[in-house]
Amino acid sequence: MRRWIPRRRAGLLAGVVAGVAVVVVLLMTALGRDPSVIASPLVGRAAPNFTLPQLDGPPVTLAKLRGQVVVVNFWASWCAECQTEQAALDQTWRQFQDSGVVVIGINFEDSTGAARGYVRADDVRYPVVEDADSRTALAYGLRGVPETFVVNQSGRIVNRVIGPVDAATLATEINSMLATSAQ
Amino acid sequence: MNAAGPLRRARAGLPGLIVLVALAAGLAALVIVAAGGHPPASQAQQVQQIAAGLHCPICKDLSVADSPAPLAQQMRQEIARKLRAGESADQIRARFVAAYGDSVLMSPPRQGVAGAVYYLPWLILAAGLITAFALLRRWLRAPPPGPLQTSPQQASPQTGPPQTGPPQAGPPRASPRTGPPQAGPPQAGPPRASPRTGPPQAGPPAGPPQADPPQLSAAQRRAVARALARLRAEEPG
Repeated sequence: MRRWIPRRRAGLLAGVVAGVAVVVVLLMTALGRDPSVIASPLVGRAAPNFTLPQLDGPPVTLAKLRGQVVVVNFWASWCAECQTEQAALDQTWRQFQDSGVVVIGINFEDSTGAARGYVRADDVRYPVVEDADSRTALAYGLRGVPETFVVNQSGRIVNRVIGPVDAATLATEINSMLATSAQ
Repeated sequence: MNAAGPLRRARAGLPGLIVLVALAAGLAALVIVAAGGHPPASQAQQVQQIAAGLHCPICKDLSVADSPAPLAQQMRQEIARKLRAGESADQIRARFVAAYGDSVLMSPPRQGVAGAVYYLPWLILAAGLITAFALLRRWLRAPPPGPLQTSPQQASPQTGPPQTGPPQAGPPRASPRTGPPQAGPPQAGPPRASPRTGPPQAGPPAGPPQADPPQLSAAQRRAVARALARLRAEEPG
């Protein structure tokens, strides 16, 4: 019986088709991704520890807050979006501070005077610390402000929010972690 | 024995030797350059070298070494601090990768899928060289095209179309396109191994003297033997 395609040609054709298929799959995979969204390798891992001086109060050490849900928010007084999310952070603090939830504001690339002015003007009640040499920011892989990390009771980062957070999302996440620990 | 023979052969092989030496020298230079040369002498140079390999996280296409952004400055200071603390360049890079991911590296990592960018060009090069070598070998082994050999037997419609394609050194093909040679009249001598050689008993040779019969591989010899057996079985009487 006559072959539709000679055997030698069939091998070559199969190779070409396989090569084109690989390129198409790679292109489709790459083109389907949003290049501006970069996943943090820290999510699911232990949160880098820090001990940072508070603007008004004793230094804060993350490791000492083990067993509590911690919301770590990086901010700066010159950052407009940080002003946007301030109300959500205040609300979260007021809502959950009696449930063992801590909100920590880490001031990033700012002057102490400007940071104090911001805290006073916005009546920020949760602890605010200074990261003068940005070592903590670098350890958290910070790309800008605002950025917020949610750390669970066992000290692992469970979420990272780039840009302003909203109170409802934070509340849902915190309630979920509190319910898990209560079981 | 003439001593000029080896000398002549050596002279004839000289251009090839020069090309080989040049290729080897080029390859060695590439390997040396890829190895990265000498480590920097001072700590500042080390900082510069490590920072040049890290992508500024808040910049577009700028390394930490080149970026004027405050975060890049902090990263350079952090690199210097870690070097003073005795960490190696690899450990420092690993710290930044742990925080920022592989995207912080200016060059993709050698592990995982991204590592293919390092190996794929070499694989493609190797495949190309192998293909080129195989083609070259085939061209060099192919005899120069001679006048088309035809005989009444080959030209008859019963034996299939005449062989007008390139000379074939392989075994007789079972494909109906070429037609099995058993369709012709019974032959007294051994059947031909290849249509190229033509039947020896078909009268005076029509073309120039035939070249030496091709060297057949074991598989080709087996195929010829099978064809012979088939021919004998189908012979009338």
